Amino acid sequence: MDLDTDVPMEDVSEDQPSYQQKTTKTTTPDLQKENIGDLDQWIEKLKNCEPLSERDVKKLCDMATDVLQLEENVQPVQVPVTICGDVHGQFHDLMELFKIGGPCPDTNYLFMGDYVDRGYYSVETVSFLVCMKVRYPKRITILRGNHESRQITQVYGFYDECLRKYGSASVWKLFTDLFDYFPITALVDNKIFCLHGGLSPMIETIDQIRELNRTQEVPHEGPMCDLLWSDPDDRGGWGISPRGAGFTFGQDISEQFNHTNDLSLIARAHQLVMEGYAWTHQESVVTIFSAPNYCYRCGNQAAIMEVDELHNRQFIQYDPSVRPGEPTVTRKTPDYFL
Amino acid sequence: MENFNDDLYPLALLMDELKHDDVSNRVEAMQKVDAIAMALGPERTINELLPFLNDVAQDDEEEVFAVLADKLGDFLPLIGGHENCQPLIQILLHLLPIEEPIVRDKAINSVNKLTEQLTDDELNKIILPIIKDLSQGNWFSKRIASCGLYKGVIVRVNAQTRLHLLNLYLNLIVDEGPMVRRGAATNLPVVINKLTEFTSTVDKTDVNQISNKDWEIISQMFQSLINDEQDSVKFLSIDVLISILEYFQKINDKSYNSDFLINSLKLIEDDSWRVRYTAADRFNKISKNFIDEEQDLSKLIDPFISLMKDNEGEVRKAIAKQLPDFCKMLNNFSSLKPSIVNKILPIVNELSQDPHENVRSSLAINITELSSILTKQQTIDKLLPIFLNMLKDEFPDVRLNIISNLSIVNETIGINSLSTNLLPAITELAQDSKWRVRLAIIEYIPKLADQLGEDFFNKELLTLCLSWLWDPVYAIREASVKNLKKISEILGSDWAEKFIIDKLILIKNSSTLKNTNKNNDNNADDTIHEDNDDENIDFASFIIRITCLFTINELIPVLNTKTITEKVLPFIDDLTKDPVPNIRFNTANSFKIIAKTLISHNEKDLINDILSKLNSLADDDDVDVRYFALKAVEEINQ
Repeated sequence: MDLDTDVPMEDVSEDQPSYQQKTTKTTTPDLQKENIGDLDQWIEKLKNCEPLSERDVKKLCDMATDVLQLEENVQPVQVPVTICGDVHGQFHDLMELFKIGGPCPDTNYLFMGDYVDRGYYSVETVSFLVCMKVRYPKRITILRGNHESRQITQVYGFYDECLRKYGSASVWKLFTDLFDYFPITALVDNKIFCLHGGLSPMIETIDQIRELNRTQEVPHEGPMCDLLWSDPDDRGGWGISPRGAGFTFGQDISEQFNHTNDLSLIARAHQLVMEGYAWTHQESVVTIFSAPNYCYRCGNQAAIMEVDELHNRQFIQYDPSVRPGEPTVTRKTPDYFL
Repeated sequence: MENFNDDLYPLALLMDELKHDDVSNRVEAMQKVDAIAMALGPERTINELLPFLNDVAQDDEEEVFAVLADKLGDFLPLIGGHENCQPLIQILLHLLPIEEPIVRDKAINSVNKLTEQLTDDELNKIILPIIKDLSQGNWFSKRIASCGLYKGVIVRVNAQTRLHLLNLYLNLIVDEGPMVRRGAATNLPVVINKLTEFTSTVDKTDVNQISNKDWEIISQMFQSLINDEQDSVKFLSIDVLISILEYFQKINDKSYNSDFLINSLKLIEDDSWRVRYTAADRFNKISKNFIDEEQDLSKLIDPFISLMKDNEGEVRKAIAKQLPDFCKMLNNFSSLKPSIVNKILPIVNELSQDPHENVRSSLAINITELSSILTKQQTIDKLLPIFLNMLKDEFPDVRLNIISNLSIVNETIGINSLSTNLLPAITELAQDSKWRVRLAIIEYIPKLADQLGEDFFNKELLTLCLSWLWDPVYAIREASVKNLKKISEILGSDWAEKFIIDKLILIKNSSTLKNTNKNNDNNADDTIHEDNDDENIDFASFIIRITCLFTINELIPVLNTKTITEKVLPFIDDLTKDPVPNIRFNTANSFKIIAKTLISHNEKDLINDILSKLNSLADDDDVDVRYFALKAVEEINQ
C-alpha cells in the first residue's frame, strides 16, 4: 500500500503525544474577549432556535476554520466524555440531549456527525454545535458525517432549508466549505475509536488515517469515503454496501482492527437503531443514534454513551422532546360572521 | 401677550392640531380637549368650542371620534351644568350611529353618564325622543346604539312610558338584523337588573311598581331569545335567564320556577356548543335559584353530568370549574348526597383523563375542594386515586394545580393520612422510567416538606431526595440540587449542614478510604459502608464529583459562615487539583459564590485567600479553567 511508505512516523510516535499537547496549547491561542462576547450572544440566540444572521454565520465559520484546521484527522479526546450519534436537524431533540447529558461545557461531548438534513432545523443545529465548538474547543468535538457534504445536503434538505431561511445559498456554501475542515475520526483516551460510518479495507492502522488529506469534499470512494459510509454486518469479511458507498465489514474485521490498534471499542453512528444504541460484533462495535423519533415518524428512542475516566460506559436513552403542543383552541366566532 | 395666550391661543392651537395631517396628532390634540374647555370657561366652551367639535364629529377619523365620544361624557361641569346639555347631546348624536363599535360604545357610555345628571323632566324631553328615534332608525347601527341607552332611563319614567319603552325594546329583540338582536340581548340583563333594584325601592302599591304587564313583555323577549336561530344571540339568553331568576328570587315568587327550570334544561341541552358553553360557565348562577327545592335541584344533576361528558373540550373545561360549588348545593340534601359519589365522581374520574390538557388543568384547580364535602373515607377511597393519577399528568399545569391545592385535602383527611397515601405514590413515581415524571415529583417535594415538617421529612423523604442526586439524567440531578436548596431554605442552614453537606463529605471521604483500603489490601471498613447507604456512589466517578460540587455551589448562599469556612472550603480546595478540567473550572465558580456570600459578612482575609486560589487556577493548563478563574476574579473585584 502506498500509505505504508511513510512508516517512519511510528518511530517518533512514542514521544509524540506529550510534544503534541504542548504544541497544541501554544498553537491554539485563547479566544479574544470580543469573540467570546459574540459567541455567548449567538449561543443564547440559537438556544431559542433563532438562526444567526448571514453576517454572523460568516464570522462564525471564519473562527471555526481557524479552530478546526488545527485538529487532527484522528482527534485525541480525553475522558470523561459523552459520545453522541446522528442529530439530523432535530434541534429540539438536541436541546433534550443536553438536558439528559448535562450542559456543555460542564459535560464534554463528542458528536459523530450528521448534524444536518432530514430535520426541520439543520441551520440552527449546525450553527449551535459549531458555536459551541469555537467557544469551548476542548470541551466538544464534532466529527464529519456523510451528510456534512455538498452533494448530500443538496438532496436531503440542508440546501433547501438555507435557501428558505436566508433567501440565498451563501450560508449553505459557508457551512459546506467549513465541513471540509471537520475531523473525520476521534480517539478517546487511546481506547475508543469514534467515527461516523465504519472501517475501510484500505485502512489497517489508525496511523494510516493520520496520513489522509481530509480537507476536501467527501470523495465517492477511497478510505475517507469508507470511514464516513461503511456499516458493520453479520457476514464476515468485506461486503458491498447497499448504500452505494463504503463497505460492510464483519466481526473478524472489527476484532482485527481493535487488536492491531489496541482498542477496546469502535463507536459509530450512521444507522437508525430503535433502542438508540446497539451492540454488534460481540461488543467490539457500538452504534449510537441520537435523533429520537427520527424524521418525526420512526418511533425510535435516542441514546448517548457516557464514558467516565475509569472507562465505565453508561448508555442513557431518551424520547423526543416535549414539543409545544397544539395551541389552545378557544373558538370564538368573530362578529363579522353575523 | 400673556392675556392673549390665555384667551385665544389654546383654542387656536387645538384647532390647528385638529386639522393636522397626521391622525395621531389629531388624536393627541383631542385628548386635551377637556383641558382646553377648562381654560376657556363654560360660556366660550358652549359658544366656540362645542360648535367646532360638532363639525369635527361629522368629519374625521374613527380614532378621533372615539376620543371625542369618551371625553364628552365628563363635559357637563365644563359647560356649567345639566341645563346646557343640549349642544353636547347634539354632538353625541352624530357619534352614536357610527358603525365602528369602539366609537359607538364610548358614545353610549357618555350619553348614559350625562343622563344620570339630568332631571327627570330633561330626561323625558331630551333623551326619550332620542331613544325612540334611534330604536326605529332606518340603519342597523342606530338601532344597536339605542339598545345601550334603555338601562339609563327604564326606572326613571312612569309606568305607562316604561311599558312603551319595553315594547320598543321587544322590537329590537326580534329585529331582523342579528347584530341588533345581539346588542339588545346583551343589554337586557342590565335592564332587568335595574327593574329588580327598583322593585325594592318603591312601595308594593305604588302606581309605578313593576307589573305583570311589564313581565309579559320581558317574557316574550326571553322566549324569542331562546328560540333565536343565531347561536351567538341565543347564548346571551342565559344571562337574561339569570337576571329574571334573580328578580323572582328577590320578590320571593317561586310560582314560575318550574317553567324556568324547563327553559334552563333546554339551554343546557342546546345543539350549539356556544350555548352549552355559556350554560356550563354560569351553571351555578342558574342552579342557585333552585336550591330550596330538592326536586328541582335533582333535575339538574343529569344535565350537569351531560355537560361533563360534552363533546366540546371548552364546555367540559367550563363545567369542571363549577364542580365543587354544585356539589356543595347537592350536599345540603341527604337524598341528593349519594349522587355526588355515585353519579358525579365516576365522571370526574373520566375528566381527570380528558384528552384536552386545559380540561384536566381546570379540573385540577377545583377538584381538591371536593374533599371538604366528602367524608374522610370517601376522600381516601375516591378522590385520592384521582389526585395521584393527576400528579403524574404529562401537562405541568395539571400537576401544579393539584399540588398547590392539596392543603384543602389535608384539612379533611389529615397530614398523616395524606402522606401515607401519597408516599407510596411518590416513591413509585420517583422511580418512574420517564424522567419528566420524576421531575414533576421532585418539584413537588419542597411544598410537601413545608407542610409536613422536619421530622417527618427526615424520616420519609430525605433518602429519596438524596437519591435523585445520582440519577442518570442530568435534568433530574439539576432539579434535585435546586430542590435541596429550596428544602434548606425551609428547614434551615443547620439542617443543610447536617443532612447534606456532611453526607457529601462522607461520600468523598469514604471513597478515598475505599481506594486506600483497596491499595493496602485491607478488609473493607464496615462502619463506613453502613453510613453510606449506596455503595454505587463512588467519588471516583466524574459525574458524582461534579454533582457534589453543583450541590454545594447551590447551597452556599443558605449556609452559615462557619460551615463554609470549616467544611465547604476544604472540600472545594481538594477539587481544585482534580484531574478533570471540568471539575476545576467549576471550583472557580464555587469560589466566586463563596466570595459573594462572604463579602456581605466582611471576611476580608478569607476573600484574599480565595483570590489567591483563583489566581493559581488562572495559571492552569486548560483554557476553560483559566477563563472561568479569571472571570471569577474579575467579578469578585467588582
